[in-house]
Amino acid sequence: MATDSETIKRRKSWFYTLYTIFSHELRTFLGTPFGWVLLACTMGLQGFWLQTVLQTMSKASGEGVMYYMLNNVNFWFYFIFIFPLITMRSMAEEERLGTLEGLLTAPVTTTQIVLGKYFAILLFYIVLWLPMMLYPWMSDLGNVYTSLRYDIDPVGNIDYRLADWIGPYLILWLSGMFFIALGILCSSLTRSQIISGILCTCLMIMYYFMGRVTELWGEFPAAPIFHYISCTEQISAFSRGLIDSRPAVLYITLTVLTLGLTKRIVDYRRWHR
Amino acid sequence: MSLMSMVRAEHLHKVFGRFTAVKDATFTVEKGEIVGFLGPNGAGKTTTMKMLTGYLPPTAGTGSIAGYDIIDKPLEARRHLGYMPENVPLYEDMRVYEYLEYRARLKGLYGSSVRQQIGWAIDRCGLEPKRKNLIRTLSKGYRQRTGLADALLGNPDLLILDEPTNGLDPNQIRQIRELIRSLAEEHTVILSTHILSEVEMICNKVIIIDQGVIKADDTPGNLTRGLRAAGRVSIEYKGELAPVVQALEAFAPVKKVIVEEPLPGGWNRLIVRAEPGTDTREKAAAIIAAHGYPMRHIYRHIPSLEDVFVEMTRRD
Repeated sequence: MATDSETIKRRKSWFYTLYTIFSHELRTFLGTPFGWVLLACTMGLQGFWLQTVLQTMSKASGEGVMYYMLNNVNFWFYFIFIFPLITMRSMAEEERLGTLEGLLTAPVTTTQIVLGKYFAILLFYIVLWLPMMLYPWMSDLGNVYTSLRYDIDPVGNIDYRLADWIGPYLILWLSGMFFIALGILCSSLTRSQIISGILCTCLMIMYYFMGRVTELWGEFPAAPIFHYISCTEQISAFSRGLIDSRPAVLYITLTVLTLGLTKRIVDYRRWHR
Repeated sequence: MSLMSMVRAEHLHKVFGRFTAVKDATFTVEKGEIVGFLGPNGAGKTTTMKMLTGYLPPTAGTGSIAGYDIIDKPLEARRHLGYMPENVPLYEDMRVYEYLEYRARLKGLYGSSVRQQIGWAIDRCGLEPKRKNLIRTLSKGYRQRTGLADALLGNPDLLILDEPTNGLDPNQIRQIRELIRSLAEEHTVILSTHILSEVEMICNKVIIIDQGVIKADDTPGNLTRGLRAAGRVSIEYKGELAPVVQALEAFAPVKKVIVEEPLPGGWNRLIVRAEPGTDTREKAAAIIAAHGYPMRHIYRHIPSLEDVFVEMTRRD
C-alpha cells in the first residue's frame, strides 16, 4: 500500500525544516497583498521625497544621491515604522491563532521557528530596499539621457559611484538585521499584533534618540557609547562611502543576542502558560 | 516493538500557578488500542494530551511515545505522532492543499511522498471537493477534517485527537467516527470527547479523568460491570404497594425498593436497587403474579458508560 511507513520518504534535515518555515513565512509577505502594499508605500514615500533630496543636492553637492536620501528627517519618518509593520505578526499571530501548537507538536524546534521567520523577514526587508538601490544608477541613466537628448551636460551632475551603492545598502542591512530581531522579540512577548507593534515602535524611537543624545548633551565621559550606537551617525558615514567594521560587530552581536532571547521567551511562555 | 507500549505516561503532573490541572497521571496505551479519554469540562483532558504531545512541558513526571521520551527526545517522539488540537487552529488565508503541503514538509516528508501523502489524507478525510478552497471559507466540519488530514500526514503510529467531533452535525459525527474506526486498523488512537455513546461504539479502552485525577482506566465492559446502576430493575403494576414492597425487600440481593409517584390509571412504579450483576426480574414477577396483580412493565437497566461517567465524576 502507498501508505506503508517504509516507503514514505522522510528527511531528518535541520535545514529542510528551517527552509520549510522560511518559505512559508516569505509566502505571507509576497503571496498576500500585505507585502506589496508595504513595498508600494515605501517606494511612494521615497519617490515623494526625492524632489526634496534633489532640491538639497542642487544647493550642496559633493555627496551621492543616497547620502541625501538617508540623511534626512523624512527618511526616519518611514524607516522606523517599517520594522514594527513587518515583524509584528510573526510570533503574535501564530500564538493568537493557536498554530504555534501545531508547529511545536510537529518535529520542529523553537530555534528553527524563530530563525525561519527571521530570515524570511530579512529577505523581504532586502527586497524592500531594492527599488531605492536603483536610484544612483537611474540618476546616472538620467544624465546620459539628458546629454544625448539635449546635447548638454546636465547641471547638478549626479555621479554614480560604487560607494554610493554599497555603503548605504550595507548599513541599512546591518541595522535592519538588528531591528528585525528586535521586532520579532516584541512579537514573541504577546499574542496581540497591535501591542507588539506599539512596543517595537517605542523601542525603535528610543534607539533612534539614544543615538542623538550627544547632540543635546554634548561630549561627556560616556558620550562615546552613544556615538557608537548612533544609527544616524552610522548612516551618515556609510552613505558617504565610509565603511566601518564597528557597526557590523555591534549589530551582528545584538542580533544574535536578541534572537537567542526570543527563542528563550517562546519556550518560557510555553512552560508558564 | 511489539513488547513496547505505544504511549506511557509516568506520574504526569501539571501545575498552573496555584491550580493543579493534572495530578500524577500514570497510564499506558498499547499498540492498536483506541482509547477514549473522558472527563467533565476542565478535568485536565486537554492538558494531559498537550503534555503527551510535548507542547506543554509537565511540571513533574514524564512520558514516552513509541519508546521515545517526550522530554529527552521530543523530536523523535513527535515524528511518531499525529496531533489534532482542540478547535483545530489553521492558517486562515491558506488553501487546504497548500496548508497540508506545508504541514507535510514540516513533518519531514519530501519529494513524491508529499503529494502522495496529501492525496491519501485528502481522500481518507473526504476533503477532495475543498482542496483548493481558502481555509477561512470552510465550514466547521471541513475545518475539522483538514485538521484530521493534517494529523494523518506521514502515517504516524499514534494519533492524538482532542474532541474530533466537537461542533459537528450528527451526519458528520458519523462520518468522522467511521473514519476513526477505519484508522484503528493500523494506528493507535487516543481521542477525547463528551459524546459517550461514541466512545462505547469505537473505543476498546476508556480513561476517565476528573479534577486532574485519573479515576478509571479499563475496558468499557469492565467498567460497567460492578456498577451501582447495574442490576437496577423498574416495575409497573396495578395493585397495593405494601405487600409487594415487603416481599421484594425480603429477597436477598435487593438492597432497596424505591416507590415512585403513582402513574395515572392506578399504576404503581417501583425501582428495585439490587446487588450489581444480579437479576431480580424473575422473583419480582413471581411476587406480583402471586398477588394476582396485573403488570405492564419490567425492565432491567443495562449499565452504560454514561452511568460510569456520572458515578465517577459527580460531585454530590
